[in-house]
Amino acid sequence: MAKFTLSINQRDYEVDADPQTPLLWVIRDEVGLTGTKYGCGIAQCGACTIHLNGNPIRSCSIPVAAASGQKLTTIEGLSESADHPVQKAWIEAQVPQCGYCQSGQIMSAVALLNRNPKPTDEDIDNAMSGNICRCGTYTRIRKAIHHASKEISNGSN
Amino acid sequence: MEATKPIDRRKFLKITGISGAMFAIGFDALAVDLNEDSIVKAMMAEDFVDGTALNPFVIISEEGPVTIMATIPELGQGINQGIPAIIAEELELDLDAVNIVKSSATRKYGRQSIGGSRNTRSLYMPMRKLGAATREVLIQAAANKWGIATERCYAESGSVRDKETKRYFKYSDLVKDAAQLEMPKEPKLKARKDFTVIGQPLKRPDLALKVSGQADYGMDAQPEGLLFATIERCPTLQGKLESYDQDAAMSVKGVVKVMEVTRNVYGNENVGVAVVAESYFAATQGRKKLNIKWDNAEFSQVSSEQLFTQMKDLGLKEDGYEHVEKGELKALANLPDGHITRVARYDQPYLSHTCMEPMNATVHVKADGTCEVWAPSQSPQVQRQFAKLLGIPENEAEDKIKVHLPYLGGGFGRRSMNDSLLECLQLSKAMTKPVKLIWSREDDTTQGPFRQGTVHLMRADFDENKKPVAFQHKMVSQAITTQGRPSRGRLPFEVMEGINTHYEFEAFSSRFVEFKSQIPIHWWRSVFASTNGFAHEGFIDEVAIEAGEDPLQFRKDRLKSEPRFVKVLERLEKESGWNNKLPDNEGKGVAIVESFGTIVAHALFLKKEDGKISIPRVVSVVDCGVYINPNQVEAQTESNIVYGLTAAMKDPISFKNGAAEQANFDTYRMLRMNESPKSIEVHIMENDEAPGGMGEPGLPPIAPALANAVYNLTGKRIRSLPFDLQKV
Repeated sequence: MAKFTLSINQRDYEVDADPQTPLLWVIRDEVGLTGTKYGCGIAQCGACTIHLNGNPIRSCSIPVAAASGQKLTTIEGLSESADHPVQKAWIEAQVPQCGYCQSGQIMSAVALLNRNPKPTDEDIDNAMSGNICRCGTYTRIRKAIHHASKEISNGSN
Repeated sequence: MEATKPIDRRKFLKITGISGAMFAIGFDALAVDLNEDSIVKAMMAEDFVDGTALNPFVIISEEGPVTIMATIPELGQGINQGIPAIIAEELELDLDAVNIVKSSATRKYGRQSIGGSRNTRSLYMPMRKLGAATREVLIQAAANKWGIATERCYAESGSVRDKETKRYFKYSDLVKDAAQLEMPKEPKLKARKDFTVIGQPLKRPDLALKVSGQADYGMDAQPEGLLFATIERCPTLQGKLESYDQDAAMSVKGVVKVMEVTRNVYGNENVGVAVVAESYFAATQGRKKLNIKWDNAEFSQVSSEQLFTQMKDLGLKEDGYEHVEKGELKALANLPDGHITRVARYDQPYLSHTCMEPMNATVHVKADGTCEVWAPSQSPQVQRQFAKLLGIPENEAEDKIKVHLPYLGGGFGRRSMNDSLLECLQLSKAMTKPVKLIWSREDDTTQGPFRQGTVHLMRADFDENKKPVAFQHKMVSQAITTQGRPSRGRLPFEVMEGINTHYEFEAFSSRFVEFKSQIPIHWWRSVFASTNGFAHEGFIDEVAIEAGEDPLQFRKDRLKSEPRFVKVLERLEKESGWNNKLPDNEGKGVAIVESFGTIVAHALFLKKEDGKISIPRVVSVVDCGVYINPNQVEAQTESNIVYGLTAAMKDPISFKNGAAEQANFDTYRMLRMNESPKSIEVHIMENDEAPGGMGEPGLPPIAPALANAVYNLTGKRIRSLPFDLQKV
């Protein structure tokens, strides 16, 4: 066991954990932020996607030790009241069904739009195909990303 | 009638004040988030609802708000809003003004289990009556106050009005008096033309929680002092535990207990070894050190190849049980020269349900003899079963066992089996501590129970003019309802779902041959309709083409006796532009299946470009009778299409040496965004038929529509699933 300081959503958390513990479980069970989900444990489904220094990563597959001192953002840190343009677009397009994968979907989509504010369908497919949705909300996700893209570019004009 | 306890109303108002009515539905999560004190955490959402309960579902506060309890497990189908919407319709309430609160699981709400696309269908009339009866006692209360006849009063937007003077009482002014009145048994229901809620596109209130990480899933339960568990089970499904290294697992830091746990699946009891630890990671590390030896000699011979050979041979040998027989099949022997017989064998694999949220359970058996359960289950009312196992008298079960009803991260039928809850109960009972049991993705994929594997022996006979005269479908499979016991000697009720017996042939036969195996199978989204629909609609396509007819026109012609089918097909023909000529590199397929009271037809289009085949478009027509929320009809259809295409094009569960060969998403692959249809259009038929189910009926016709489109594009007939679309 070792002590780590994790910077999550612009707040510091002191945690005591085995350095090899996947970051996912520390975020969920030590820090108590349960919006980030376990789906596969091998970086295949994307349910555990968070941002590390702004880049999307699979938190199930990096040890807590590697995240110490990095800037982490989880779904809970995206906005105060579910009003990030991507979250709003998700509600507008009524994307989620069971919703379990959607934290990861949204974190992947936010990362995509941060680096590519006007993605094509192909850009979206490339960026989002690492995130599995068993409810099959893919066509709505694509629509919502285009919608958010418009909102963001309108806002910045 | 009883008033709910006025506990902590301030706190309730404070919480709803922060988040608004939209958030009340996910109250559990918010209560935890606010972190006020441990009492708040232990409360059920309904404990905070303030007001007078006119019945278990409708609670009206004298201060204004109306609460409707959402009591049916929400696994993505929108039922948390759908059922309250039915009540709100008859109660003359604007849904925006209603607090929808997710309930716990308890007997007072009636049956809370979900499956069989049943809930809207079975609750539509009872909930309308409940809403209407509630409206009538409120009207009676107003009439009494005014001293006028009830005929002079009507309800509108949460108030009762006097037709003549336009004076009114809000429901909140009437609730105390209404609570003293008896609910009428046969209240007057609204005419459909007056509906303002049912049939409207409603936005779901749970989505604000689901886009912000606030929805409380079973996996998210975090009671104070929680321990984490993982279980190693026999990889070959059936096998005896011989030995394991308890000390090695206990030596991992954080591991607090290693114990045997029994899992009962359809009468087969198998013992696994649980590792309980202070963190899930420690539990998984301990599990790796168990070094278990299994005695599974008997079952280690089982392979998919062997199972499917046995099923095929059985089908050829046995007549099986009659389902439907029409016309004279014997006459086939005397068909004149020049007649054609077409036979084909279809088969479909075992599959895993693979909910996005792996199986899990959280149970806290407390030292004071009570128990708290977080049940991510399609059958969450576990009180009586748990009471028996805990030695609690049955009449105390509801008081002593509290069951939280979290959001479900998918269900697809898998969560109607409570094996993980019963495993977790054993752990918490042994430790008198809260324990969360998490199945790993690998556990979830490999341990079953599975979707059944099936073999279908198809035969069609044509006369000398190529007119099809006879159609036969013999299906071979295990049955779900006869597992762990001898065959009942009759047709199991579930096995013929999705076989369309309305097609007109001079002779028709559908039969079932029962296969026995120890592979555990279980209700998988649309169940036998998923497998029967593929074989039946694939072979109908073969017959149509053999007869030289257009597959859609053929279906219309042969389903003339069923106008609802014909109307669906006509609509599909129009909406999809079915008769437009396609370029050579494009193909189209159609299929229509009725299941769970709803008819769905899909037209699927394929396009080949640069050697790669994609699905640019699926057009669906749904006849589900009266529907509650068209958005949900569309969403469920989209969902069924992707779920069904995954089953058709990705991986099977195959068995080798008695064990499933696929374990995680690298070997048991899911359809991803880049492979899914680019466009899905859903069209809904308008009629006054009784509501049909929507959770499953979109699934059965999608695989045959795909296979039929592949034939149209390439000339290759797909009769065995799954197949690789890029290799046809």
